[in-house]
Amino acid sequence: MTLTPAELSALLPLLIPALGACLLPIACLDSDQATVKWIRASMFFIALLALTGAFFYLTRLWATGAQPSFGALRMDRLAQFGGIFVLVAAAMAVLQLWDHLHQEGWVKGETLALLLFSVVGMMLFAATGNLLLLFLALELLSLPLYALTATVRMRARAMEGGMKYFLTGAVASAFFLMGSVLLYGATGSLDIAVIGARLASGAVDPIALAGAAMLLLGFLFKMSVVPFHQWTPDVYEAAPHPIAGFMSVATKGVAVLALMRVMALGLPAVGLQMRSALALLAVLSLVLGNLAALAQSSLKRMLAYSSISHAGYLLLGLVAGTPGAYAGMLFYLLAYLAMNMGAFGVLSAFGLVGDQVGYDQLKGLGWKRPGLAIAVSLCMFSLAGLPPMAGFYGKYMIFKELILQGHVGLAVLGVLASLVSVYYYLAVPVALFMDKPSGQEQREAAERPAVVAPFAGATVLICGFLVLALGLMPGTVMAAFARKAVQETLTLAP
Amino acid sequence: MITAWINSHLLSFLVFAPMLWGLALLPLSERQAPLAKLLGLLGSTGVLVVAASQLLHLPADALGQVWAERFPWFTAVGIPVDYHLAVDGLNLWLVLLTTFLVPLTLLGTWNSIKERPGTAVALFLMLETGMLGALVAQDLFVFYLFWEAMLLPMYFLIGVWGGDERKYAATKFVLFTLSGSLLWLVALLFLAGKAGSFAPGVMAQAVTALPFATQSTLFLAFALAFAIKVPLFPLHTWLPDAHTQAPTGGSVILAGVLLKLGSYGFLRFALPMFPDAAAHYAQLLAVLSVAAIIYGALVAMVQTDIKKLVAYSSVSHMGFIMLGIASMTVLGTQGAMLQMLNHGISTGALFLLVGMLYDRAHTRRIADFGGVALKMPVFTAFFLIVTLSSIGLPLTNGFAGEFLILNGAYTSGFAWGRALACVATLGVLLSAVYMLWMVKRVFWGPANVQEDSGTAHLHDDLNGREIAVMLPIVVLIFWMGVHPQTFLGASERQVGQMLIQQRAPRPVPGPFAEVKP
Repeated sequence: MTLTPAELSALLPLLIPALGACLLPIACLDSDQATVKWIRASMFFIALLALTGAFFYLTRLWATGAQPSFGALRMDRLAQFGGIFVLVAAAMAVLQLWDHLHQEGWVKGETLALLLFSVVGMMLFAATGNLLLLFLALELLSLPLYALTATVRMRARAMEGGMKYFLTGAVASAFFLMGSVLLYGATGSLDIAVIGARLASGAVDPIALAGAAMLLLGFLFKMSVVPFHQWTPDVYEAAPHPIAGFMSVATKGVAVLALMRVMALGLPAVGLQMRSALALLAVLSLVLGNLAALAQSSLKRMLAYSSISHAGYLLLGLVAGTPGAYAGMLFYLLAYLAMNMGAFGVLSAFGLVGDQVGYDQLKGLGWKRPGLAIAVSLCMFSLAGLPPMAGFYGKYMIFKELILQGHVGLAVLGVLASLVSVYYYLAVPVALFMDKPSGQEQREAAERPAVVAPFAGATVLICGFLVLALGLMPGTVMAAFARKAVQETLTLAP
Repeated sequence: MITAWINSHLLSFLVFAPMLWGLALLPLSERQAPLAKLLGLLGSTGVLVVAASQLLHLPADALGQVWAERFPWFTAVGIPVDYHLAVDGLNLWLVLLTTFLVPLTLLGTWNSIKERPGTAVALFLMLETGMLGALVAQDLFVFYLFWEAMLLPMYFLIGVWGGDERKYAATKFVLFTLSGSLLWLVALLFLAGKAGSFAPGVMAQAVTALPFATQSTLFLAFALAFAIKVPLFPLHTWLPDAHTQAPTGGSVILAGVLLKLGSYGFLRFALPMFPDAAAHYAQLLAVLSVAAIIYGALVAMVQTDIKKLVAYSSVSHMGFIMLGIASMTVLGTQGAMLQMLNHGISTGALFLLVGMLYDRAHTRRIADFGGVALKMPVFTAFFLIVTLSSIGLPLTNGFAGEFLILNGAYTSGFAWGRALACVATLGVLLSAVYMLWMVKRVFWGPANVQEDSGTAHLHDDLNGREIAVMLPIVVLIFWMGVHPQTFLGASERQVGQMLIQQRAPRPVPGPFAEVKP
């Protein structure tokens, strides 16, 4: 079988990280070798090289405007957007992992290999409308994540978290597969566009409806939407901080992209009936996520519940279901990438290790590490949706579309939820800048060795900068990326 | 060519220069704090000089045109946002008040902030950008951005440099303000969707096409956001907490400018954009304002802490401003315009003076003092002048404003207009009671000789720096009292036009429209 250049260029963005993933285990076959510094460094270098290689290839594709495809794999604008999004998140996670794993004393080559495999799965997930391929991608992205959750496997909680994630994830995957089967049975096709066309032409088959609902469950699980969210806090807490950040951003992101593709292309007929269900789930996520986050004393659990609430905001975009709302969701995802990678990354940058990192461990750090503290505060303000940070515009665009579509009640509920969220997001700058550590705590802090985490620190600073930059020129970003991706992919389809 | 470019962007420069200056000061280390303070003072004084030299010589009619900037900023999902700033009759004096108060605050609290004073100075400058931007913004989206941009610097000023309960007060401040402004944002987006624009004029046109119930809901969403900021009774509970916990400078700016943004929002946006709904709810606003006047005064009377007393007096005085605006008469509105300046100067000065006393005595409890006049005669003289201006003694600024407002309320034509005016006049009396009673207990009488009392810690009177801060304030107090026309001229025409439009017959009359004479 020969590949045409177009087919190759559709495949290459996936092949580059896959190649890196295959190389990495060879570099560290003997895991004791990871104790040698230059081997460790070269492992991280290979991983970063693979990620940046794919990144530059994709940006070039984007710049040329080419949208190659290979069978059911369609490297269109939306897929390219998803790929770039995942690669940036993964690169930040790799940089943070270097510092975090050293702090944990647990540097192993397989961690990076698993991460790269997961990246391949995610890119594929955003790049196809074929249900079988979607399932394959879902598994490819999930299985490494289950293992990654339990990276520091000496720790009981890590093992517990990984196991929990695997068991619940497997059930969700089974639902996804069953949904595909039912849709195939009802329409005779695995391609989502064809399914959509067949469904639209006749009365809606209850079997197809059941299939669509099951399919949806698979996506919603990955997005951690209520009531499929229970795994989230435990898994985020068990996973290494950078992995938790990566999961919260990239997994949710590609799930949203894939769901957007399925909703926009495939199930317009069913979509109408699903929309009220989605609205209900969005409301539940907003209410439960925000209220539960209020009660947390552990930072990672707070961020986990916050990620549940952000899934709710993103779902509201799907409820509005207009091209403008889709573009707003893409902008939201970019903002979310910056603010959440910053929020999780700062834990590594401050050198906070262990299962439970509480607010009180941030006390007084703001004045010791002002750059990092300001950057992460910007991320928190952005998560809370305060202007002029990026998160504000993400919410703004989604709410605006909701209101234009007549869902004023949902918009009011959304802003009230974000009002609640202000309280717990502000608790981070409060701890950083306003809490004064007691004499005892100051002495303990002085005894601890100074934390050096240059790479994690750099990613946090970049995130802080991105949060501001995206917020100051939302129009440019919308026109250059988000709207293009939506216009050229979702609205042109049948 | 460069001068032409600078001239056409002078307003943006005025708005953003403080923030950029503040950001430039941030990297200065703790040891360089005196330098940061000096540079901050110079920078904010520079802004004042530019604003005053450029704005004062313009005739009122030319303001809106000469000092305006407008270009399309971005179009997100269909609705264009214009970057539109302008100085006009409504905001001219508030802009000058802001640029005047910031350097005064920095100078007045020169030694009050001990920890990281450089960072605090930078935050004050960033806050100035937020305030100036909100004042001159003519596009509602831009206004919203600046409105929220005021939040964070003040949040940090209260939360980092505040008293023992600072975290509680700072968070309460943010949550209260946001709860109003987020709902307002929904209303704003709804209206922008109908109008296809964020320009207040276009939006006001779209409003007339909406059913009255929708108009009312939108008006209430606008009013809620502004009323929380004012703060109007019963939404005022965040203010005493914020004031008592904030450092002196934070209180001065909070009372001096931030609260005015609420009443200014009513005047510029809420009332002109929703004339029918505004006419419908004006009487309710007036009743709440009078409630604030009386309630604030009564609560101020029983305070044991001087700063908290001044904070509650703020609630009472802001009630007067809101009463003037709600009266929807030229007299009342002009009085409110004047009273905004008065309150900014008098209450700002009161907070500064309380801060000076606190820096020396480390207490603000009224019972800890007594006989301060014996120890600090110059301070007492200034305090007395400001107190009398706050009470509204004729020939001081407070009198002119309150007189106009009460006059406006009396002639407003509300069913209970005259009764409201009479009750509000009682508030003037009450303000004399709580202020003078406090002055009596703190300043007069024999010196409090107890060892740990506040008076015992008072050793030196005001120094040259502090006198330099108070002198321009005293000059303004008398100027505004003797010749208020200087400050009323700019807004006269605009307020008149606004109220004429308000009363113009419209296809959808509000139920209360016919009450108007």
